[in-house]
Amino acid sequence: MSLLRIEGLELTIGDTRILEDIALSLDAGDVLGVVGESGSGKSLTALSIIGLLPEGARLSGRIAIDGREVVGASESALTDLRGDTVGMIFQEPMTALNPLMTIGDQVAETIVVHRRAGWSGARKTAAAVLERVGLPSSQISPDRYPHELSGGQRQRVGIAMAVALKPRLLIADEPTTALDVTTQAQILALLRALARDEEMGLILISHDLAVVAQMADTIAVMQGGRIVEQGESSAIPGRLKHPYSRALFEASTHLPPKRARERGEMLLSVSNVVRDYPLPRRAFWEAKRALRAVDDVTFCIDRGENVGLVGESGCGKSTLARAIVGLETVQSGQIMLAGRPVAGLHNTAFITRRDMQMVFQDPYGSFNPRHKVGRLVAEPLHLLGRDAPDGAARSRSVTNALEQVGLGSADADKFIHEFSGGQRQRIALARALITAPALVVLDEAVSALDVSIRAQILDLLAELSGRLGLSYLFISHDLHVVRAITDRVLVMRAGRIVEAGATETVFASPRHAYTRALIAAAPTFGRA
Amino acid sequence: MSAVAVESAGLWRAALRSPAVLVGGMLSLAIVVLAAVSLVWTPYPIDGVAIGARFAPPSWTHWLGTDHFGRDLASMIMVGARTSIAVALVAVGVGVVLGVPLGLAAAAVRGSAIDEVIMRGNDLVFAFPALVIAILITAVFGPGAVNAIIAIGIFNIPVFARLARGAALSLWTREFVMAARLAGKGRALISVEHVLPNIANTLIVQATIQFSLGILADAGLAYVGLGAQPPIPSWGRMLAEAQTMIALAPHVAIVPGLAIVLTVLGLNLLGDGLRDLFDPRLRGVRR
Amino acid sequence: MTAFLFQRALSFAISVVVASLVVFVVLEVVPGDPAAFMLGLNAAPDTVAALREQLGLDAPVWMRYLGWIGGIFTGELGTSYTYRVPVAELIAARLWVSVPLAAYALTLSTLIAFPVGILAAARRGSAVDAGVMGGTQLGIAVPNFWFAMLLVLVFSVTLRWFSAGGFPGWDAGAFEGLRALTLPAIALALPQAAILARVMRSALLDTLEEDYIRTARAKGLTRGQALWRHAVRNALIPVLTILGLQFSFLLAGAIIIENVFFLPGLGRLVFQAISARDLIVVRSVVMLLVIAVILVNFLVEIAYSLVDPRLGRRV
Repeated sequence: MSLLRIEGLELTIGDTRILEDIALSLDAGDVLGVVGESGSGKSLTALSIIGLLPEGARLSGRIAIDGREVVGASESALTDLRGDTVGMIFQEPMTALNPLMTIGDQVAETIVVHRRAGWSGARKTAAAVLERVGLPSSQISPDRYPHELSGGQRQRVGIAMAVALKPRLLIADEPTTALDVTTQAQILALLRALARDEEMGLILISHDLAVVAQMADTIAVMQGGRIVEQGESSAIPGRLKHPYSRALFEASTHLPPKRARERGEMLLSVSNVVRDYPLPRRAFWEAKRALRAVDDVTFCIDRGENVGLVGESGCGKSTLARAIVGLETVQSGQIMLAGRPVAGLHNTAFITRRDMQMVFQDPYGSFNPRHKVGRLVAEPLHLLGRDAPDGAARSRSVTNALEQVGLGSADADKFIHEFSGGQRQRIALARALITAPALVVLDEAVSALDVSIRAQILDLLAELSGRLGLSYLFISHDLHVVRAITDRVLVMRAGRIVEAGATETVFASPRHAYTRALIAAAPTFGRA
Repeated sequence: MSAVAVESAGLWRAALRSPAVLVGGMLSLAIVVLAAVSLVWTPYPIDGVAIGARFAPPSWTHWLGTDHFGRDLASMIMVGARTSIAVALVAVGVGVVLGVPLGLAAAAVRGSAIDEVIMRGNDLVFAFPALVIAILITAVFGPGAVNAIIAIGIFNIPVFARLARGAALSLWTREFVMAARLAGKGRALISVEHVLPNIANTLIVQATIQFSLGILADAGLAYVGLGAQPPIPSWGRMLAEAQTMIALAPHVAIVPGLAIVLTVLGLNLLGDGLRDLFDPRLRGVRR
Repeated sequence: MTAFLFQRALSFAISVVVASLVVFVVLEVVPGDPAAFMLGLNAAPDTVAALREQLGLDAPVWMRYLGWIGGIFTGELGTSYTYRVPVAELIAARLWVSVPLAAYALTLSTLIAFPVGILAAARRGSAVDAGVMGGTQLGIAVPNFWFAMLLVLVFSVTLRWFSAGGFPGWDAGAFEGLRALTLPAIALALPQAAILARVMRSALLDTLEEDYIRTARAKGLTRGQALWRHAVRNALIPVLTILGLQFSFLLAGAIIIENVFFLPGLGRLVFQAISARDLIVVRSVVMLLVIAVILVNFLVEIAYSLVDPRLGRRV
């Protein structure tokens, strides 16, 4: 008998049908991967299994865990099930833990509510569980609070809470999406080891086909609330049948065609740049402290060249990007664009900054929701001062910019909320292009997009760079994307550039240990 | 996702479906209309003393009855509304006009000495409740309606400054503000063009609430003799005068109190309703 | 933690000093000659001179300020011009009415507001919740001094359960004293409780949306367990903020309510002092009120750091 058997599962919330005819099964000790883009229903499938659905949800069909039926079960039967038979791990390690409770107590609580055990005994067990997930009390005391831990450590606490009672089934909903790639590799290894050692069934939910392919025995691909394909994960990459799952695979391994571009003279030069942030003093009698976010960074970008900047969160890559475009003042060093300093007197800086624009990560936060697209796209024209076109000339340049990114003049009269995430990144590009810059800084510009949309935007970027002779500084934590689009790559760690070189050379034979670790940790197809 | 996803036409439709906005808006409007009408007409003159008609209970001739001088309470309430509304409205105006720019400026230069000075100044003003400010002013300059306006107005400044700063700070971290800086726009221009319009809803809601708090505070100050002085009628003074006769003629004390309750209730309902309306996240949650 | 406490204490001290400067400037510098101001226009010049002498007004302004500040620490606040008794004695006697009244009201409003707010949040959308929301909406709109008058009308004039005002003094026994303060405390507490209950409810509803509540439920906690063990403590943080801010309203309310019930508290004292232009009494009472507000905000900050481990350890 399988550990989990789901048959004909349907879920509606209000009047909206969320899940349709879901059928899944999982044996003890096996790993089931569920893949899909945002809105595919993968998370709600997981929440259905433990009966934690939003208000107004109606569930029908069958979900049997160890032969026990979940659909229609009483609330008390469900609370018995949750945490004891089924453990669940969530995506956001930053918010998934109670900030006011020690990590040891949060793990112990699972034991207390199910075993009617006293707190002192439960705390001892909790310490052992924390040790099992890689947080030995000699290093991380169970008396610590969540804010004192890193993201990866918090996710380990989340895992400890879920596995404290050795559940039969463990559900991990995007457990590593919010983590850096090296941390992701460690957490995935831990999950795999736990499932194997404790003979647990593991459901791993992810948007990342590569992560799932590397972990799962069987895989289910979801789209629009349905499972479109289900099978052995060894079918990836070659033998996926359904057109959607094939498209998903192709999009996640997509490489835009690289065109031979003409390399011109030097465009951007960054020399010995340092950026410090003052830290709050713990007490006024202590010396001033500072965090060095960017530490003596030197590099340059030629005209027409696409340079990647990779590193994990907090390495200083975004600070460096903002310093380059003049949004941050640097403590020392110099940044020159086409021979002119970026941080100059007001007017000279304006002239320099016309040649340089930026695209941000968040397709929702990048636009003032009260302005129409035409006004949003035209905003950088402010840099032209008196030379800025007005009237018909202004709307012509807006239309021109919109057309370059595959949108039309009619879109200028719409509000930003009428557009999808992918379209918004196109509009962000149009805004960046309106001053006809030579350099565009892309700060995690495709990271928030689903893979299929991401592939389209990458194609657009490659095409624009070729056609307009644009240079990019492409900042990302995603090695695959950087490899796809850049000619040269810089690897950044703790404020310093640790390795630089032609993209293919760096990826094929990394010299620095950190680069090697990054490349090894990045999930790829084909089981490691 | 974005709080402004609702266009103005949709907002009006939603407003007409919200009972809180409807009831609150109508109550508030009714009081304002009564106060405005009293400028040209009241059922009876309010300065006429008619000892014979004193303490008349509500009737067809005197809808709300008469007080110890035989004055018509309905007329007194109408004229008193004028004072209360004027005091509360000007006090809100003082708070908005001085507080919002301070808050915007503090947010625009977050962490700087200017920010520090503005915020410390706010903390200091917060240490003086409106009543204490009124006591200070009255002790030196004597009582009057202007005192009430100044006292409540000063109290409102840090309320709006803190609110504006807090709301603006979260906007300053948004990428669209960064895009505007990238376009070479200065902090003042960004504050006006990008920040202020996006915090306007929050400010409107708070203004409604401060308006109702102003009505309450004005009544309290007038009651203890720190606000409007006779012969200017005010709801607070009416209550103070009625207090000694409460056993004899309870309606004289009940009527002005009800006027205050209805006004404040209307404004609060309007404020809460607008908040729900402006924040789609809250829509449907409250009911 | 000690660094945190030290910092907070320092900022408390600075606030008090700056506030005292404001009070001093308004009451001692703005009127020009305080002695002439207090005695009015018709005072004889030698009377004014005598008062100037008694108040030490011939000393430079900064000396007078330092003398006053020093007096706050030593309890030498001068002699009331109208009562002819030391101000410190006058205030101390009145504090025995005002402080118990405020404490009584604060206790009542917290005891009412917390359970009501938690109940409404736990039963969100139910008839109970709707009733609480309606009742509190009304409670916020009622001026507390008018509510006090209604209480007098019902419980003193009609039912004769309580006296309509006055205070027998604590010498008459704790019970009699509390009895005299009961109606005033209720009048103060109910509107306050209405605000607090609404804040409690909405803070709880916000925390119930947090990810860690879902985590707790996934561990097998019931809705109620998740509410009590995880949501309530997290919701306390915004509630404490409001409680601190509300204290100044409570203080103002207490001063006004004392007038309704003819209680011999600070409120009566300060209004009588204003009409008598007794600035010596006014400045000390005002300073006391301001210190109380600043002190409560200081205590709220300390309370934060006890509730929230993220504060205090590192600032």
